Amino acid sequence: MQATDSRNNPVVQLGDGLRNIFAKTGALPFLLVILVVVFQLANSRFLGRQNMEDMLHEGVFLALASLGQMFILVSGGFDLSIGSNIALTSISSASVMAAVYGVHPGAAGQAIAAGAATAAVVGLVVGLVNGVGVAVLGVNPFIVTLATASAFQGITLLISQGQEVGGLPNAFITSVGSGSWLGLPIAGWVTLPLVLGLYVLLAWARYGRYIFAIGSNAAAARVAGVHVGLQVLATYVICAVATAIAGFLLTARVSAGEPLLGAEYTLQSITAAVIGGASLRGGRGSIGGTLLGVVFVIFLADGMDLMRLGSNHEMIALGLVLIFAVVADRQRAKAVAAGYQKRLISQSDPATEG
Amino acid sequence: MDAVAGHLDERGAPIVSLVEITKRFEGVVALDGVSLDVAAGEVVVVLGENGAGKSTLVNVMIGALQPNEGTIYVRGQRVSHQDPAAARRQGINAVLQDFSLAPSLSVADNLFLGREPMRLFIRDRARARREGREAMQMLGVNIDVDTPVLFLSRAEQQMVEIVKALCGRPGALILDEPTATLTGEETRRLFEIVTRLKSEGWGVLYITHRMEEVQRLGDRVVVLRDGRHISTYRVANVSETHLIQDMVGRPLSALYPAKVSATTNAPPVLRVDNLTSKDKKILGVSLEVRPGEIVGIAGLVRSGCSEVARACFGLIELDQGFIEIAGGRVEKPDLRKMLHLGLIYLPQDRRGEALSLSRTIEENVSLEVLGEWRYSPFGLVNHAAVHEAVDAITERLDVRPRNIHQPVVSLSGGNQQKVVLGRALTRPRSVYVFDEPTAGVDVGARQAIYHHMHEICKSGAGILFASSDLEEIVHLSSRVYVMHEGRIQTELHGDEINDEAVVSYSFGRDSANRGTLRASN
Repeated sequence: MQATDSRNNPVVQLGDGLRNIFAKTGALPFLLVILVVVFQLANSRFLGRQNMEDMLHEGVFLALASLGQMFILVSGGFDLSIGSNIALTSISSASVMAAVYGVHPGAAGQAIAAGAATAAVVGLVVGLVNGVGVAVLGVNPFIVTLATASAFQGITLLISQGQEVGGLPNAFITSVGSGSWLGLPIAGWVTLPLVLGLYVLLAWARYGRYIFAIGSNAAAARVAGVHVGLQVLATYVICAVATAIAGFLLTARVSAGEPLLGAEYTLQSITAAVIGGASLRGGRGSIGGTLLGVVFVIFLADGMDLMRLGSNHEMIALGLVLIFAVVADRQRAKAVAAGYQKRLISQSDPATEG
Repeated sequence: MDAVAGHLDERGAPIVSLVEITKRFEGVVALDGVSLDVAAGEVVVVLGENGAGKSTLVNVMIGALQPNEGTIYVRGQRVSHQDPAAARRQGINAVLQDFSLAPSLSVADNLFLGREPMRLFIRDRARARREGREAMQMLGVNIDVDTPVLFLSRAEQQMVEIVKALCGRPGALILDEPTATLTGEETRRLFEIVTRLKSEGWGVLYITHRMEEVQRLGDRVVVLRDGRHISTYRVANVSETHLIQDMVGRPLSALYPAKVSATTNAPPVLRVDNLTSKDKKILGVSLEVRPGEIVGIAGLVRSGCSEVARACFGLIELDQGFIEIAGGRVEKPDLRKMLHLGLIYLPQDRRGEALSLSRTIEENVSLEVLGEWRYSPFGLVNHAAVHEAVDAITERLDVRPRNIHQPVVSLSGGNQQKVVLGRALTRPRSVYVFDEPTAGVDVGARQAIYHHMHEICKSGAGILFASSDLEEIVHLSSRVYVMHEGRIQTELHGDEINDEAVVSYSFGRDSANRGTLRASN
């Protein structure tokens, strides 16, 4: 068979091998290596202990938002309201905490609990609003979340009058905000079980299979008896709650309720998810890939900081990375298709069927 | 083959000839030294199962793929590096399975896309519309040229594609599985057009895997298998069995299993009473399916056969009527309720409604049954149980490849259809409703699907299937309901089920025109 000739050719094998890795993981591992090398050469502090800790702290918030975003991408949707959700959560939970703490200065614990509950409720409401818009009213997720992003931002500014909300319990700022235990930030300890929970949902739960099927072909999922609307609604709620928790943790990090907090997270979360293997066409995405994508985005932002390139440059770089990620995603889809095409042809060949 | 070569001089000069074409993809041979030519005024049918190399052949011919070896001649001239635009200029026109129409543009705009008639610097829309209308009329196609293409049915879109192809330089017309999604009446119209083009001196290359089309249309038939040219025959000189053997490379026992009949006196597993849909596509339809029988619904395009199948599953809103299943009466069917009551519907549109293409065989097969406790206790998937169940089903259906973690997009049409069928077999059900069970499926898979439909019936369930494939209706059904304009025109039993009866009733009893479908034979 001609097929075996090329299989023995080492160059072809190497090319095939690289393409298979690319087809499996996308361009991300390659890019990460490049990024680390470049930043480490530019500034030897990049891989230093202090900087790694800083990056871990930053990564926690983005991880939550990106995992939520990835769930929605898997189901074939989009969430552009992530940034507004974070700001709304920050202002609402800070207001509640400040109020409780103001009345009972001794009850820092209760104040924090009230703040956390507020964040959860905000997340739930935001998720339901988005989810109802998409799953019940059947409006395009792009439009729904663009509209709700504007609405939530407006509500945030109304509540806060554009001012930051201070007077938070000190314990909140020192523990949740910057404390760490066994080398992991408290925010990380909060996030870890959530990430595990999301992993179980996506990889082991029936729900995960459903949203993959819906994202791949919603009509087919419906005909197979999947309650499409309900699953999609749940996805928006999951994303919004995860994001709201990120918003709550972030509030502790910045030690006040900020009305303009987290605006960059919308784009960053999409970038992290997509570069981590989630498809904008739905039906694909993974927890591990997304976390790797988060690492990438954080590395990029932090490394550029260390190179004394400001946030403006970061925005440019991030935009370019997103475009690149989408193009790479398409290339990968082709690589995957080519791989199967090849197998399909060789299967139809009786000589190789054996 | 030598005998055929002897006939060559009887035909006109070839419009296009391929000589010893070899095409490899990454070292895998898709076409292996295939030679073929199409002369003016003849229809050459290329027959082959999926994966036989038919599409590659078409793509080489229209210049979308470059062959690794071999030569292409157009009107005796050797062409070296072909591209689709150049091929069109030389008179090689193709209507592929995936249409190249812009959905939001009107028919006229589509016909002249890229070569709009101009008047100074302005598009001459009046002329485009006039010429478009003339072209339509010449082919006897009745489509308004101002309609945006997206409002047309698939058959109408195909007509537009054909008219578009015919607006180019006369020469060869390649039709790649044109009837895959057409119903009986639409197919008949298409055949008329092909016959007419032939008489006007076009050379037609007709790609198909449907045996009956060879007899109806072809002058010569070329059989491909595994990328190789197996045989060429004059259609008049070859039998169907012979062609099937060449196609599959092994003798195929009878395509259709022996007919089943209902278990006597058993109450129906499904009864539909006076069903009328909101969109009036079905009007007062009543039918029943008894355990152990295969009931066919036949009819022309828009006669409502498909819609009856969909309505049973709750995919179409009902105006009146009810469904009786599992001893209960359902006034407002919705698909989750129907699934629960033991009815499953297998859609005709595999890519649109049946499969999540990018997901694996396992996920697709198990999607419907996943909610059961043993497959997902506490909402968590029991991977081992799912794996085992899906493995058993794919083995039973002989889905290839056997690796159930492969995405279904990588499967052939026949194997995709087996995956759809596999989903129905994940648990016993009382009624299976198929909509075009074998559309776009190769002979091997077809036989397997019929076999499994048969098995389902033996287990005591009932099957209702809508089909525009006359042969399938006649050979598979224990009873047939023939539909006409949304109503059931008649019910045929036993020996009454034959081509003539089905066709004449599907044209409406009064206007019964016996053998209309056969006229083009």
